[in-house]
Amino acid sequence: MRAFLAGFGLEARMIRAAPEALIPLVTAPLFALVFLAIVRQSGRPDLQADALMAPVLMTLWWVALQQAGTMITGDRWQALLEPLIATPASLASVLLGRIAALMCLGLVSFFEVWAAGKLAFGVSIPFEHPVALGLTLLVTAFATAGVSVAFAAVFVLTRNAYTFTNSLSYPLYLLGGVFVPAAILPGWIQPVSSAIFMSWSADLLRASLKPPPIDDLWQRLGMVVLLGATSFLIGRAILFHVMRRLRANGELAAA
Amino acid sequence: MGTPAVEVEEISRVFEPRKKPEVVALDDVSLTIPPGEIHGLLGPNGAGKTTLVKILSTVLLPTSGRARVLGMDVVDETKAVRPQIGIVFGGERGLYWRLTGRQNLEYWGALYKLSARETKERTQRLIERVGLAERADERVETYSRGMKQRLHLARGLVGDATVLFLDEPTTGMDPLAAREFRTLIAELRDEGRTILLATHDMVEAETVCDRVTLIDRGKVVATESPRTLGRVISRFQRIDAEGVDGTVLDEIRALAGVSSVSEVEGSVRIEVDEEGATRVVLGRLVDAGATSVRTSLPSLEEVYVQLIGDRGLEV
Repeated sequence: MRAFLAGFGLEARMIRAAPEALIPLVTAPLFALVFLAIVRQSGRPDLQADALMAPVLMTLWWVALQQAGTMITGDRWQALLEPLIATPASLASVLLGRIAALMCLGLVSFFEVWAAGKLAFGVSIPFEHPVALGLTLLVTAFATAGVSVAFAAVFVLTRNAYTFTNSLSYPLYLLGGVFVPAAILPGWIQPVSSAIFMSWSADLLRASLKPPPIDDLWQRLGMVVLLGATSFLIGRAILFHVMRRLRANGELAAA
Repeated sequence: MGTPAVEVEEISRVFEPRKKPEVVALDDVSLTIPPGEIHGLLGPNGAGKTTLVKILSTVLLPTSGRARVLGMDVVDETKAVRPQIGIVFGGERGLYWRLTGRQNLEYWGALYKLSARETKERTQRLIERVGLAERADERVETYSRGMKQRLHLARGLVGDATVLFLDEPTTGMDPLAAREFRTLIAELRDEGRTILLATHDMVEAETVCDRVTLIDRGKVVATESPRTLGRVISRFQRIDAEGVDGTVLDEIRALAGVSSVSEVEGSVRIEVDEEGATRVVLGRLVDAGATSVRTSLPSLEEVYVQLIGDRGLEV
């Protein structure tokens, strides 16, 4: 727990010290306005709430890929990984703490898009199922953090992690049902989509903003947690092997 | 004898870079450091000093051989080793530049599982100890190279380690700060810590180390106290004399075992490179009525050059 808190504290201070960490919070309300404009122009006011939720998920994903995913790579280039590995702290716990801080940052986008929609178009988030909405946002942040650990571990092995983070964003937005429900994607893609926690999160978020009761809420929340936890465990195992490999090859510090 | 603080048994490390020939960084190195010793690791660039420090600090795996810290294997018992060690790698990297010195130390302290209160207290003590109190709340990116080096040192100490591995810790420090650093190292020994100091700085090694290991091309050349190492090559003794006229110097120059005779500001330095030559030279100087005669052993730097060779910039 101490390592988790150390990681959380470190990242919180880094966010304060580095304004570029806040870029996703600049883009989220802009995306919200673009999506709102599209659905209003198309005469689909019933999709306004969906248009507001998509930027929140995109922000979490963006933070997971761009910032959390490149965390270990960045530390490695700055010769911070070796001294970190030599401490008694668990790398996975430190990493999870740092990512948790980033997820908190990502969740701020929810309030931003709410304000942007209200101010620009007078559209508010319809809190039809506020408890479900809150829980869904929390488990989504948790699952995104779990996936980020796996990304961070795998990206260390690549020569240029930034290429992957840039090219992975949009396929994941699509497969994760961020813009439109995964159910309307071609049938052969849907099994892949079901394995991505974001598709469950996105469906739940949309459902929590609409009046009809939410079917199987707890099971669906559990699925998000399960997929996120599985990703974290896989990520931790990958991390262990990657670190072992870097120690064996003498590559913990990048030249 | 109790458990050594550091025990290295026939450690080898071979690097196999892609599309390049393999590099033997360490070749069958053995070394034992008793608790409480300051041990210097001296060698030219590429000698294998950093590789050995990295293996001992658990961040690099050896190709073969075993190494233990306080009796614990650095490969199989890393979880037990890590709370006991502190590392200081040289260079400007290895710190969060956008955070303050204090924030950096608090982060690293927390990684050693200190409570929040302990972390704050220890951070403050270390900041004062390394002379960064006035700049502790400024971003590291505004620090000079020497100040970053002091922060590196404080980071190495934040876990209250029993065994410290210092790799070129005074790089970038001004002479005054380097002298203070040596005082600090002596204090750390008095507190019962064991220190392995990898350095190029002969004066530093000679001043603070109880023993030094000379390492070259991955092999240990010698391990002794700095004074004993001087005796190892005592045949290279030198004699400084005053009040000797030129004729006598010509005679001495012709003696067997005299390698050089040079005059500097009214004094003369005679260097010998054979056992027994010193006695003959001294006798001749006394007979010639020299007003002052002094013999001395070579400095550690001269030992280093004699044993490892003057390789210039070659690595």
